[in-house]
Amino acid sequence: MFGFLFKKEKQLESLIYQYLENLGKTQEHFLKAMDTCLDDGICGEFGFLIDQTHKFESKADEIRDEINYLMYSRALIPESREDIMNLIEQVEIIPRIFELILHMIRTQKLKIPEAFMFEVKELIRISVESCELMIKQIDLMLKNRHGIRALLSAIDHNESHCDHIERGLMFKVFDSELDMVHKLQLKELIVAMGEISDQADRVSRRVNILTLKRRV
Amino acid sequence: MLPLLGGVFLGWSLGANDAANCFGSAVASRMVKFRLAAGLCALFVVIGALAEGRAGIETLKDLTPVNLEQAVVITVAAALTVSILTILGLPASTSQAAVGAILGIGFFNQEINLAGLGKVVACWFGTPIGAVLAALALYRSLGAIYNRLPITLFQSDMLLRSGLIAAGSYASYTLGANNVANATAVFVGAGTLSVFAAALIGGLSIALGVLTYSRGVMETVGRKLVRLDPFSALVVVLAGGVTVHFYTLLGVPVSTSQAVIGAVLGIGIIKGAQTIKRATLYGILSGWFLTPPIACFIAICLHFAIHLKYIPH
Repeated sequence: MFGFLFKKEKQLESLIYQYLENLGKTQEHFLKAMDTCLDDGICGEFGFLIDQTHKFESKADEIRDEINYLMYSRALIPESREDIMNLIEQVEIIPRIFELILHMIRTQKLKIPEAFMFEVKELIRISVESCELMIKQIDLMLKNRHGIRALLSAIDHNESHCDHIERGLMFKVFDSELDMVHKLQLKELIVAMGEISDQADRVSRRVNILTLKRRV
Repeated sequence: MLPLLGGVFLGWSLGANDAANCFGSAVASRMVKFRLAAGLCALFVVIGALAEGRAGIETLKDLTPVNLEQAVVITVAAALTVSILTILGLPASTSQAAVGAILGIGFFNQEINLAGLGKVVACWFGTPIGAVLAALALYRSLGAIYNRLPITLFQSDMLLRSGLIAAGSYASYTLGANNVANATAVFVGAGTLSVFAAALIGGLSIALGVLTYSRGVMETVGRKLVRLDPFSALVVVLAGGVTVHFYTLLGVPVSTSQAVIGAVLGIGIIKGAQTIKRATLYGILSGWFLTPPIACFIAICLHFAIHLKYIPH
């Protein structure tokens, strides 16, 4: 019934799924770029993967603009409109952090000393896992399926773990023999890396609230 | 045709003011375009008036016997009352204004159907209370079903929007069925119109008001309802419609605004929140008590004025 009134909503639904798929690709390329950088240093492949990450991040921006345009042209009821817009605003911080990290490494020609390699890799792995869980959680919310709270607690656990790694790394960096400039560069990089799981956790909490809010 | 203008004007102002109770939340929140809402509202008002307007017309025409001149006085007095109270910023019920004006003429005729009047007044008290109860029952029952529906966020959104359109159309139907009597019942009593003609002219007058002048009121009243979440807004419109429909079946014209206010209060009870400000409530109550005596007074004055005769010395 009233199907003819909901063309925009169907278009919007498909755009949001496109956005999430694109976020997944951005994250995949970020991970590949980081692996390349940590294993082989700043090389041609790393540059290519940064460009690929940027391409998907820009694509995400385009999709977001289309989503906003549809929202402003009266798709969805106002409450859902506000919820989805706020959620996307929160989610899009994550690909920006990916880009920030990659550009930081490229422009500052940062080298991660071997002594910190394990923790950095672990920090990246857990942060990216949090993002994957977050995307899964948003998908569950959109599909009104169970399991949102379980994912919230998994993301929260990851965030605590990342905080722990981040703090440990900071101590290690400032206890090391590196020069102060390098220490501060690494500090900035580690903070940015830690921000990924923090942001995934923020989004996850928001998703949980939105789910609770939807119940009458 | 000229004597009917008072009734047409009353019907027009009723449509312009009360369409907001049916589609206000949907239009103000940009969920439904005004043109679609106004079109649906006008259509269902006319259908409602023709299908179920008879009972209300029979009740009002039997309150007191009137002639054509008195019928004109009644409709003009009711229209003036609603206009004055609206200018004063007090919510006025067209049903109460019409009955108040009929009473004024009834005093002149010294013939009032007290049993009919008692039924009408009892229903006025029952309207907000009935709407509170309807909102409580609908919120609980529909809420339980809604929470169990295996639908996505987008399907839920579409369901709520469709529900608001369907509920708005139903509320429009009950608006036409219940309130058409206010506009043209007295002309049936005066023998000028048949019941069918009264329902048709009254329904069309209300529809004209909806189509030509309801946008502003929809935006203003709607914004107050939009503060409720979409599900509550749907329940409010539906509970208002169910309540007004109940009184339509009893043959008593009641206020759709008061039904909606009752439903909003019902939602407030469920959520444990104050959905209507105390000052607004006082305004509603004063409008509620003032409308019938003011309409009665204006009808008496008008009737008295048109019977003044110049007697030269």
